[in-house]
Amino acid sequence: MSPTASASYSAAGVRAPTPAPVPAPAIQTINLRKVYGRKVAVDGLSLTVQPGEVFGFLGPNGAGKTTTVKILLGLVRPTDGIARVFGAPADDPATRRRIGYLPEHFRFHDWLTGHDLLDFHGRLAGLPAQQRRERIPIVLERVGLAGRGGDRVRGYSKGMTQRVGLAQAILHRPDLVLLDEPTSALDPIGRREVRDLIRGLRDEGVTVFLNSHLLGEVELVCDRVAIVDHGRVVRAGRLTDLIDEVPRVRLTLDRVDGDLLAAIGRHGAILDVAETVVTVEVRDLDAAARLAETVVRSGYQLFGLVPLQRSLEEVFVGLVEGGEA
Amino acid sequence: MTNVLTIARFTIHEALSRRLVLAGLLIGLAFVGLFALGFSFVYDRSVEAPRGTFLPNVVAANLTVLGLYAVSFLSGFLALFVAVGSVSGEIDSGTLHAVLARPLQRAEFIVGRWLAYVGLMSGYVALMAGLLLLVAYVVAEYAAPEPLPAIALMMLGAILLATLSLFGSTVLSTLANGVVVFTLFALAWLAGVIELLGTVLSNDGMRNVGIAVSLLIPSDAIWRAASQYILSSASVAALGPASLVAPTAPPSPLFVVWAVLHPLVFLGLSVLAFAHRDL
Repeated sequence: MSPTASASYSAAGVRAPTPAPVPAPAIQTINLRKVYGRKVAVDGLSLTVQPGEVFGFLGPNGAGKTTTVKILLGLVRPTDGIARVFGAPADDPATRRRIGYLPEHFRFHDWLTGHDLLDFHGRLAGLPAQQRRERIPIVLERVGLAGRGGDRVRGYSKGMTQRVGLAQAILHRPDLVLLDEPTSALDPIGRREVRDLIRGLRDEGVTVFLNSHLLGEVELVCDRVAIVDHGRVVRAGRLTDLIDEVPRVRLTLDRVDGDLLAAIGRHGAILDVAETVVTVEVRDLDAAARLAETVVRSGYQLFGLVPLQRSLEEVFVGLVEGGEA
Repeated sequence: MTNVLTIARFTIHEALSRRLVLAGLLIGLAFVGLFALGFSFVYDRSVEAPRGTFLPNVVAANLTVLGLYAVSFLSGFLALFVAVGSVSGEIDSGTLHAVLARPLQRAEFIVGRWLAYVGLMSGYVALMAGLLLLVAYVVAEYAAPEPLPAIALMMLGAILLATLSLFGSTVLSTLANGVVVFTLFALAWLAGVIELLGTVLSNDGMRNVGIAVSLLIPSDAIWRAASQYILSSASVAALGPASLVAPTAPPSPLFVVWAVLHPLVFLGLSVLAFAHRDL
């Protein structure tokens, strides 16, 4: 009996329930660093993405997002640090069998037909011929290219090329899909379809790592996000937590004067005053209630108090431009 | 191995789809047609003795060598062209990212590409050289003494150049690689001429320079080795040392070994150079 097995018996001799094995994170990076000459692209980036999550990876241009994705795929070697995918080193080709990837610039061999492109990628992904025959029409339909598989990719529009890129990313039923700006070439309907596709993948238990500038898109589909800047994670967490981190309220009053603003200022930071509407950042919603009480006791009429939720864009801009991190 | 074959198949499909091979074939066939016409014209005008006798054989042998030299030159060009952007072109266009994100070793990608070039160039050389030898036989009843080793060496020359071009594409941009490999191709030819002149003028310095360059890029030296098998000994004697396309001396066994190893060495270097390149 192995030491591990014997440890699963209690002192009373009754077999204790063996705890379920904890699945390895879909993605884990620890102090990841990539330096090109004198330029630091990724600077001690630590990140964990759990299986089944839709994870948003946000950051300004040059923040190191695409470099990080490339490290996760073994396309770029890190200068230092650890990058693991499902517990295995990121540069292990066997791990890539579980990954689907849509590159940022979605360039594909345009002399192939859409069908042949998928067949080629299916072969490389290790799909047997029978599965390729079954899966190719399914994924083409799923990305809105049903009936266009026989056309050469060079005849596709940008949006169609991005769609066929999405098709090759999900063709082999990966456990993790890395999407680098998956909707950059799509119209609003296409974007909605991609959102639905991402939600569908989440329902199937697939982990989605979404690298996007379109914060509205991220807000609509992601469970958790990380905001990176200068190669580091400056904030990470559940989307709702990030957005609600610092509540704000909008007060609509009968009048606004210096005395009122001084009173309000004791409860929070005044962000904006527009005629009789004052926007205030408060510590929490209890502070907002105390603020309302103060206003009324001071003899002002309070017509409305509306809690405001910050958009992801405001959080993003605040972190990246304002250096809130 | 499956991945290697997938990449090889894909590369052949690519070369055919992009019509590079088709262009090479059309140019080659046009050349063979012109050669047949010219061969027949020159041969009929210059030889009045019965076919198959000594003098007609020497003329036919020389014309055949000239024709095969042109085939060797064409196949060399095609080999350089077909592989010049095999890796760099994919990197520049961004198509390689999605491919290497698959469970595919980079070495498998390189070896798959290489196998495809070996197949393409072998087929091309075999077809063109075979047609040309057929023309020589039909027009002048000239049969090269040992056509198979000659064709095998010509294939080796084309494979060597394709491998050199493949290696260049792992470390240089497509444009830079094109400039470098075509310069080396020309340099190899020039080295052959320098070596020949060194032999004619009994100048050891020139000969050694020619030999040294031929060892680095043996494409021209391989052609000279191949031509040994096309010419009969009488034809070699008649041709003399003054030809720019004929052999200077029979190839040493060591040289043949090196010529076979050369593509393998550059294939290995290609794998190494590409293994750790950031994309």
